[in-house]
Amino acid sequence: MSEARRTVIAVASGKGGTGKTTVAAHLAVAAALSRKTILVDLDVEAPDSLGYFPKASPTGEPLPAMVLVPRLDESKCSGCGLCAKTCRFGAIVAIGGVVTVDERICKGCGRCVAACPASALGEAAVEVGAARAYESGGLSLLEGRMAVGDIRSTAVIEAAKRAAASTPAELEIRDCPPGVSCSATHAIEGADCVVLVAEPTEFSLHDLGAAVELARGQGLPVGVVVNKDGFGSADVDAFCASRGVPIIGRIAFLRARAASGAATRLWSEDGSLMREMDSILARAVEATKARMPA
Amino acid sequence: MIMVSVASGKGGAGKTSIAAALAELLGPARVFADCDVDAANGAIALGAALGTREPYDAGPGFKIDEKACTGCGLCAKVCRFGAIKPAPDGSGYRIVPELCERCGACLDACPSKAVVTFEKQAGELFVSGTRLGIPLVHAELVPGEDTSGKLVRKVRDKAERIAGGDSIVVLDSPPGIGCPVIASISGCDLVLVVVEASASGIRDAARLVELVASMRRKAVAIVNKAGLDGAMDLRAREMIAKAGIPLAGEIPFDPALRSAEEAGKTWLSLDGDSGARAAKALRAVRGVISGLSRRETDSNPSKEQP
Repeated sequence: MSEARRTVIAVASGKGGTGKTTVAAHLAVAAALSRKTILVDLDVEAPDSLGYFPKASPTGEPLPAMVLVPRLDESKCSGCGLCAKTCRFGAIVAIGGVVTVDERICKGCGRCVAACPASALGEAAVEVGAARAYESGGLSLLEGRMAVGDIRSTAVIEAAKRAAASTPAELEIRDCPPGVSCSATHAIEGADCVVLVAEPTEFSLHDLGAAVELARGQGLPVGVVVNKDGFGSADVDAFCASRGVPIIGRIAFLRARAASGAATRLWSEDGSLMREMDSILARAVEATKARMPA
Repeated sequence: MIMVSVASGKGGAGKTSIAAALAELLGPARVFADCDVDAANGAIALGAALGTREPYDAGPGFKIDEKACTGCGLCAKVCRFGAIKPAPDGSGYRIVPELCERCGACLDACPSKAVVTFEKQAGELFVSGTRLGIPLVHAELVPGEDTSGKLVRKVRDKAERIAGGDSIVVLDSPPGIGCPVIASISGCDLVLVVVEASASGIRDAARLVELVASMRRKAVAIVNKAGLDGAMDLRAREMIAKAGIPLAGEIPFDPALRSAEEAGKTWLSLDGDSGARAAKALRAVRGVISGLSRRETDSNPSKEQP
């Protein structure tokens, strides 16, 4: 096989605001110097990675993320209510033979359509968000963005993952959402390793524990980057040692860095930081080998 | 009862710290509901001693019984989420739990009844006492479980039952603008929007503000981490003004606020300028809340629904 397999690094955290986007963007900038790299923003409720690339230009139209929702043909509906009974999301209510579909909370599984004995349910595609590709100085970017008011983040995340997979790149870096429920689960699924960004605060350590559990539950190797090192006094080292998680990088807290982060300005001229990014990348890529077939 | 939800869009904007300080300020009749069930830090912020607990069941998951599976692949064909794949050893099909949305379409489609359900505890719900004397309702979702919005609803129901008539429930929302956030702000009397004075904080807060407006909730804003970049402070104020939301105050970016938390204090009981500015902003929010309660007693009983 001539084409090398893509390596996928997911940058996640548990707690929000620890520096996922900052770390993912800088890793991508460092990686793009030596290989074809794509940065994929899967924090579809709050996508912010493009902010670091003000000169990014779109390389195509937005690809809509669609969900097929049921549409009722009242003339065929017998009012039996089987559709409501099969729906696991509470999106269909049948009261006194009157069926009402709430398509905003429908996940588009199609179970009701298959269950209807009268073929009274058709389907229509609704847009829940979009994925769009950009390019900035040799780095490919892809942003997933959920529509405001929607709840189907996982449909948008999967659409963005598919769009990213169809773009040529040796290395894919994913900027994942916070938390440890469905959005985070989908965002790290299919990755080769997870880089968890932590800060030295009790809040962060608590949530880091859950994020480690999430990644390990998927059988993924995990490494921790300590961001804002020195900002608080919680002991990230002791915590990681107790969980057997390696620390693969440290970024010291400096007020100037916090200010750059606030304005989402890349710190590419910060030599020591970019060297740290190279080292984190090397260790993350090394970690992915732990799950590669021999 | 008055319900005040603290939300931000962006994670790490200061929701939990601000919610804890607000709860302390509001006086004896209040309950803290930690709705960030994926990353619940209310217990740390308030100094909780773990109290009563009850299991949270999210409903059944689905798996394929290898012995019963004939490998026909009908399940994979009906699955809209790409969650059913051939087993690596060629023995039929398997459900990838990370991708499964638990709709059950495969269960209906399987001709040999090889798709079976299983029960799994998805989390726990707690009611705890805290160092500050504020009752705390909180929860822990099992990492990888997918029904955080439903668990948020449980946290709220429990908090409302404890709170009763005259009290105030302070809800600490999760980041983002999705399902658990909607569950945390729907029906609330006031949403306190915490705007981090950063480019991403402002963008994410603007998306939240759009959501809050579409749900027709009343809002008030606090700018947090001000003073790092003057242009961002200005932009935060402009966004809030443009949305027509009153600004209660601005809290500077100050590592001293972090150390207050480590000393087991909220931002309310802190010496120095940053603490004073936090307290001032929170008192302004309290003013808005007491306006709500007066209106409620004046013009009972119709409360608008989302």
